[in-house]
Amino acid sequence: MGARALTLSYRNRELVYLAVVGVLTGIGFASVYIARQSLVSWGSLGYAVFFFALYIAAHLVARITVPDADPYLLPMAGLLTAVGVTEIYRLGVSDAFKQGLWIVVGVALFALALWGLRRDYRVLEQYKYLFGIGAIALLFLPRVPGIGTTVNGARLWVHFGNFTFQPGEFSKVFLIVFLAAYLREKRELLAQARLKDVGPLLVIWGACMLVLVSSNDLGSGLLYFGIFLAMLYIATARLSFVIAGIVLFLAGGVGAYEKIGHVHERVTIWLHPWTTQKVYCPPTGGLALRQDCESYQLVKSLYSIANGGFGGAGLGKGTFATTDGHQLIPFINSDFIYSALAQELGLVGAAALLLVFMLFAARGMKIALQADDGFSKLLAAGLTFGFALQTFIIVGGVLRIIPLTGITLPFVSYGGSSVVANFLLLAGLLLVSDRANATR
Amino acid sequence: MTVVASAQVETTLLVLKLAFLVLLYLFIWRIVRSAARDLRLPQESMILAPQQAAAAGLLPQPSARETGRLIVLASPTLGAGDAFTLDSHALTVGRGAANDVSLPEDEYSSTRHARLEPRRDGVWIEDIGSTNGTFVNGIRLTRERRLVPGDVIRIGETDLRFEP
Repeated sequence: MGARALTLSYRNRELVYLAVVGVLTGIGFASVYIARQSLVSWGSLGYAVFFFALYIAAHLVARITVPDADPYLLPMAGLLTAVGVTEIYRLGVSDAFKQGLWIVVGVALFALALWGLRRDYRVLEQYKYLFGIGAIALLFLPRVPGIGTTVNGARLWVHFGNFTFQPGEFSKVFLIVFLAAYLREKRELLAQARLKDVGPLLVIWGACMLVLVSSNDLGSGLLYFGIFLAMLYIATARLSFVIAGIVLFLAGGVGAYEKIGHVHERVTIWLHPWTTQKVYCPPTGGLALRQDCESYQLVKSLYSIANGGFGGAGLGKGTFATTDGHQLIPFINSDFIYSALAQELGLVGAAALLLVFMLFAARGMKIALQADDGFSKLLAAGLTFGFALQTFIIVGGVLRIIPLTGITLPFVSYGGSSVVANFLLLAGLLLVSDRANATR
Repeated sequence: MTVVASAQVETTLLVLKLAFLVLLYLFIWRIVRSAARDLRLPQESMILAPQQAAAAGLLPQPSARETGRLIVLASPTLGAGDAFTLDSHALTVGRGAANDVSLPEDEYSSTRHARLEPRRDGVWIEDIGSTNGTFVNGIRLTRERRLVPGDVIRIGETDLRFEP
């Protein structure tokens, strides 16, 4: 079969891939349903039909607003949300229902963003300082008394009545827009590395870091630092910035390890999750094996991954609770969803998921290469890099490659803000891609 | 709704699991295949400094492609009739010596005044934070705009005409 045997337009190709994702969603839900109820029923396919309809709605908006955009991004995002919601459904039906609602909100905002910016998204460039200030304001929001909420030692949530969200996820997207606009305007000056020009950048970045360190959100701190450095490098092509940044990061890391108990604990858990003798256990104040205390969550997650083996237990057949119904891994559907998926899909399936993340990042970088102007290039590259680094930080943490820091797995983890922010990220990439392909 | 024997459930689940994984890899393989096709197409560089991109051989014949010319109509510092050739690189205009088109004696121009950037769809002009503004055909730029042949650009007291 020749390469040109089947030439579909971009949007038709997207539709075909979305249909495949729809079938995958159906298989996933059906197998969870059958495994739990020992029943074969068409009823479980209701969810799959619902999500398929949602993808089709997103596709139709894309067809109207970004006809020339990359055809693979939306199906890949759809696949990741589907796998995520299937696993969340398997871990708890009520959470899956909420996640489903958030995906609807995400798709709605995705459609709004595409519609609002369909003529020229580069108007965003004019509001760069608004985005920069917005990014900081969003990061500060959880610190405001009365609306901020502390969950699991980190003050990252904001609540209005029953409605809770995590502003940091949106702050990431805002910061990328700001950096893309600012760096494009100043890149020639920045390349000369004078303090006068680098100043505003350092201020914004310093403010972000301060908030993140003070709120114990180390994962996001690493993410912001990485995005900042990557975009600076892309804009100026100066390796010295990257080297200086990494040196600064290492110095900061060593300092944090020495001075901040939280960081020290994370590193200890990472290097020595198991002990053979009882050690001091800070939460209880007594003595315990570390795997029964601080590193309980990580160790149980490693057991979960190991339990999956090569082929996996099968969707719906993994073990996540003790026989008396106690949940084994806290936060399994947000920070640790990857280890749940690794148990049920096995090495084969977990590797496939990572491949999808990699391909998403590869398409994003390709869009950055194709884009015409500096703002579009930086925007696409920044959004893609943020997506890829976030995936690396959480998957690397769960697999014990780097110290574990709580952050969501894009599109997959349970969490409304994360899903919605990632759909906005997707909209940004599609807009850049559409413009790059249309002017070709 | 059918209640089925557990052996049947196991078989169904195994079939579903295999179908899921096979379809997942098929999906990935198709995308990889099309992405691999893209790799064979010529690529542009990321935002490298123009010289670096040229040194790495990433720009197709950097200066061979002429994208337009700027003719000096009147200027306190340049001779009328002087011409500057635009190639595929961006070009900056301003009072500073580091500019591609430097206007040392034009008191009304800023150190870094305006940038002209050739893109696929033509040459775009943009004011890069000048004090007195950049004018195209007498209209002050508020955002970047695409030049059409014959446009007259005013920077400080210098008038330049854009020609293809």
